[in-house]
Amino acid sequence: MSKPPVVLFSAAEQEGHAGEEEFLEAQPFDLLAVPVIGPLLRWRHSRTLLQIPLFVLSMVMILEGLLGPTLSPKNLATVLTWVHFRGVLVLAILCAGNLFCFSCPFMLARNFMRKWIHPRFTWPRRLRNKWLSIALFVGVLFGYELFGLWASPWLTAWVILGYFAAILIVDGLFKHGAFCKYVCPIGQFNFIASTASPLEVAVRDQEVCDSCQTRDCIRGRREPASPLVVLQRGCELALFQPAKVGNMDCTFCLDCVHACPHDNVGILSRLPAGELMSDPLRSGIGRFSRRNDIAALALVFCFGALMNAFGMVSPVYTAESWLERTLHFHSRAGALGILFTAVILVEPAILLGAAAWITRAWAGVKSGWLAIAVRYAYALSPLGFGMWLAHYGFHFFTGLYTIVPVTQNAFAELGWPILGDPRWTLVGLPKTVVEPIEFGFLLLGLAGSLLVAWGLAQDDAEQHPLRAFAPWGVLCVILFVCCVWLMTQPMDMRATMLAG
Amino acid sequence: MIAGVTRGRLKAASQRFSGVLMLAALPAVVATGCRKPPETSGAIAIEESIAPLPVRIGTEIVSCKLTNATHQPIAGARVQVEGDMDHPGMAPVFADAVEDAPGNYRAPLQFTMGGDWVVLFHITLSDGRRVERQMDVKGVESN
Repeated sequence: MSKPPVVLFSAAEQEGHAGEEEFLEAQPFDLLAVPVIGPLLRWRHSRTLLQIPLFVLSMVMILEGLLGPTLSPKNLATVLTWVHFRGVLVLAILCAGNLFCFSCPFMLARNFMRKWIHPRFTWPRRLRNKWLSIALFVGVLFGYELFGLWASPWLTAWVILGYFAAILIVDGLFKHGAFCKYVCPIGQFNFIASTASPLEVAVRDQEVCDSCQTRDCIRGRREPASPLVVLQRGCELALFQPAKVGNMDCTFCLDCVHACPHDNVGILSRLPAGELMSDPLRSGIGRFSRRNDIAALALVFCFGALMNAFGMVSPVYTAESWLERTLHFHSRAGALGILFTAVILVEPAILLGAAAWITRAWAGVKSGWLAIAVRYAYALSPLGFGMWLAHYGFHFFTGLYTIVPVTQNAFAELGWPILGDPRWTLVGLPKTVVEPIEFGFLLLGLAGSLLVAWGLAQDDAEQHPLRAFAPWGVLCVILFVCCVWLMTQPMDMRATMLAG
Repeated sequence: MIAGVTRGRLKAASQRFSGVLMLAALPAVVATGCRKPPETSGAIAIEESIAPLPVRIGTEIVSCKLTNATHQPIAGARVQVEGDMDHPGMAPVFADAVEDAPGNYRAPLQFTMGGDWVVLFHITLSDGRRVERQMDVKGVESN
């Protein structure tokens, strides 16, 4: 089978990019062609194979969270959720792709349920966008700060249980992948973060798709004699492979890989964040420039990263105390709500509004300021991802080995100390090692954002690309400085409520 | 007939799958059900304190006073002090307490960062009994 090069830019966009031609002509790496890993991933039950251990781990975390030690650093639920899970998730997205959605334990429970319960409804048309999931995403970030989730194994266990309940209810009622596409906050985080991943599920040869009559990749395959019996699902998130662009909304479930009768879908390498530099019509999504909701998701992703880190350093408490004194709040919720509104709503509105206005006035871009802001909002997601990487990477690397004593302790508390006495002195990598990695992530994010903004500016203002780029470049640098400032602040973590 | 056979296979497969899932989750359920109950301190009174206040990053003196049911000091105990951030993944700090008066134990504890801490007193009495006490230290201030 011939494998033509993956086209990252249109022919017009390639003009003037002679230096990139060699890169563009290169045969993409295909993870499915790698010995051992490829055949394993192609195996129909590969996803289940990874989901089962994560499901068991989820059960252990729920039980340990509800019944185990109440002290957060000594409980598997909190250590695994807030140190290891988050760190592994962002590092996997950086190095490969959306591997958490691939091995999602919640989906295992949902698939199990759907063997008996078949949903009857289609997801309401008015909710077929990202607004609900954005609200939930902000809600999770807000709840994390307000209730000090990191400090409470009990609440952490209930969050996991709540997640299982939510997916079973939503996908028990609504057909296809309604929860993943329209509800799941972790999924939205993964979708927007994985626009910067080096791998994507994509067709190998477009010509094969052009001649395909069955479209099994989206329709699935059914028993010929009994059309109600599904032999292999097609894409539940309405991504039609030949028209799919990038990783947005892709859970890496590989249903399309298993469904394609021509073996024409692979996990291919691509330029990280390259999908943000152009604005093609995307299957199941449309054009990014016309999706205000996905642009808002990109902004919440970026500014939420700042807010999430801001909640862990000393200045946030100074700000909260001042707000509480000035506005006579009697609970932390009011002050925290104002901070969230300022950082996630007001700040991006002012900064992007100003940058869009300057782009329009200075570079002569004819679109309205809102359309410009929406278009360039996506350029901030690599920087946001850099901040999430720096933050979660910090906790992951500095607490890397804490899983050892916590597991030893869990066995010891069961009266089965087969792993020996807990070695509480095992913690993780020293800060002197981790800090350069953090700044490396931030620099990587900045570079990605600048490149995307430059790519968009070149398209928007052929005469004055620098003028179109300048306000966004300055905005990226301002946000980068904010990120660096946050990461250099002394940590100060205070939970307001210690449940359990 | 073919559809019936397929459905039958599907049903059998789903039953096998549910069996596997239940087996997989069983160890977690059984293990948690077997958890040992926590030790109680019995008739021992423990009065803990920390100074100076407000608590700041750096070395603070944590103390505990042990008395028995008749309010007599309990001397000769071994007291180890452990400080943990309430965020998982942070380095705990440890110190051994010295008995500066009968039943009075003091230890210098190094608070390495601001935020909410939990101080644990691991107490081993002279007769070998072990007692544990937790003290919440909220809002350690950055310098």
